[in-house]
Amino acid sequence: MSERDGGAARVRVATESEFDDPGREIVTVGDAEVGVFLIDGAYYAVRNQCAHEGGPVCMGEVRNELEADPGEAGSLPTEAFTGAKTVSCPWHGYTYRLETGEHVGVDDVALQTYEVVVEDGVVYVEP
Amino acid sequence: MAEIPTIDLEAHASEPLSYGGELDGYTVVDTDAHFLAPAKDLVEYMDEPWRTRASQVIPDVWREASAREARTSDGRLGRIRRAAYGGLSAILPGTTGDRQQWGKVIREHSAYPDAAQEVSKLPDAMEFLGVDTSIQISHFMLNAAGVGADDGRIPTFFRAYTQYMIEEVLDPDRGIYGFVPLPQDHVDLAVEMLSWVEDHEGLVGGVMLTAGAVPPLGNRKYDPIYELAEDLDVPLALHTSGSGLDSLQGFGSFLETHTLGFMQNNQSQLVSMVFQGVPERYPDLDVVFVESGVAYLPALGARMDEEWLKRTEEAPLLEKRPSEYLREDFYYTSQPLETAAGTAHLEHCFEFVGDRLMYASDYPHWDFDRPTTITNLPFLSRAEKQRILAGNAQEVFGV
Repeated sequence: MSERDGGAARVRVATESEFDDPGREIVTVGDAEVGVFLIDGAYYAVRNQCAHEGGPVCMGEVRNELEADPGEAGSLPTEAFTGAKTVSCPWHGYTYRLETGEHVGVDDVALQTYEVVVEDGVVYVEP
Repeated sequence: MAEIPTIDLEAHASEPLSYGGELDGYTVVDTDAHFLAPAKDLVEYMDEPWRTRASQVIPDVWREASAREARTSDGRLGRIRRAAYGGLSAILPGTTGDRQQWGKVIREHSAYPDAAQEVSKLPDAMEFLGVDTSIQISHFMLNAAGVGADDGRIPTFFRAYTQYMIEEVLDPDRGIYGFVPLPQDHVDLAVEMLSWVEDHEGLVGGVMLTAGAVPPLGNRKYDPIYELAEDLDVPLALHTSGSGLDSLQGFGSFLETHTLGFMQNNQSQLVSMVFQGVPERYPDLDVVFVESGVAYLPALGARMDEEWLKRTEEAPLLEKRPSEYLREDFYYTSQPLETAAGTAHLEHCFEFVGDRLMYASDYPHWDFDRPTTITNLPFLSRAEKQRILAGNAQEVFGV
């Protein structure tokens, strides 16, 4: 459902009370499907179309991003999962940061991101 | 962090091609789809003593549970998978590395790798991919390069698989065909099984493994197979073995061994077959190299030409440059097409082998390609795309 707000159509996702944390909803914004995520109190919204083959990326696994430090010469890298959230396309595993939409390996492969606003207890996606 | 609920993919799959583009009326033959046969059913087709041995090691999860039941009843996929592979790996070893990337890669229309393929779901998978005809390759076969024992297990499994497929899966009226896995280390049995293609419409050819082929496939040991294939006009597909990746000792990850392994296996067998003169000895033999994309072929051809021009007497059967054999005497399947390389590089590769390419999905494996990897290419005409998507395969496999 779209609502007019100052001339721009925004899309109602759910009420805050309906939205589980962690949870996700898929909504249609214009011609695009958008995945809206609520994780640890933060909302994220990215296009549900993988930059690789167009797969339903927002239906994939949500994980914490892995970072690695090379460490001392001759040692194994130090690997750790950070608090940054990612989503992975179930077709081939392309993994993107939910905050920026960028692929975790390269910044020139990215999902379009959308702004999420909460107004009067209702969650919307801005087109 | 709490586990975020996973969305039911099937509930969102009502439009099979709603993601990733439309196929625009192309006919599509998939020359490499993988069938994970139910071990409990294969046992019924086995001869002793392997029938008894296999019965003893196949866990109950293979006997009864579908993949979705396995996922939801236990909730811990990893344990189920270890159980599923644990027993059978006593006979057919698996490989290191997690192909599904620790659960990131999910398949809607296949129980792989958690349980056997449900035959009734094959048409759903074909519809999802957008393919009209699908040629199945045994999944169990891919473990064969990890078998070091010199005994009867490989011929037994391959025969049981093929008989099971003939009886219960292959269905040309619905576009479902298959290859006979050839026990290439038992050449007499491989020849016998290759002849089955003549008697069963659902069988389109034989498949041999590029990994673990010792001696390599240009060796005269395999002449009886090539001779019969040429006489019967039955094509051979050459596919790597996933278990063969573990022969790459010391590498740190599946990413490393998979990047190298499949390609190296194809390169090895192309070098062997070309320099040993297989195309000259069997000029009407159709050989299809599977599952390494296209980018390795121009590089290999250049290196083979450079070497051969200096050492021609070591390959005296050749009547033209080695690269010309690569371009004119073999076929190749397209998956996994290196789309990340960009259009200009791919166009160069297609100029080299584009006439000899066949589309393949490799579904349900982790790096599957959809037909849109071909239809999206900007430098091919519609006729060229149609030839890759179906024409070459229809001509070679008669499907």
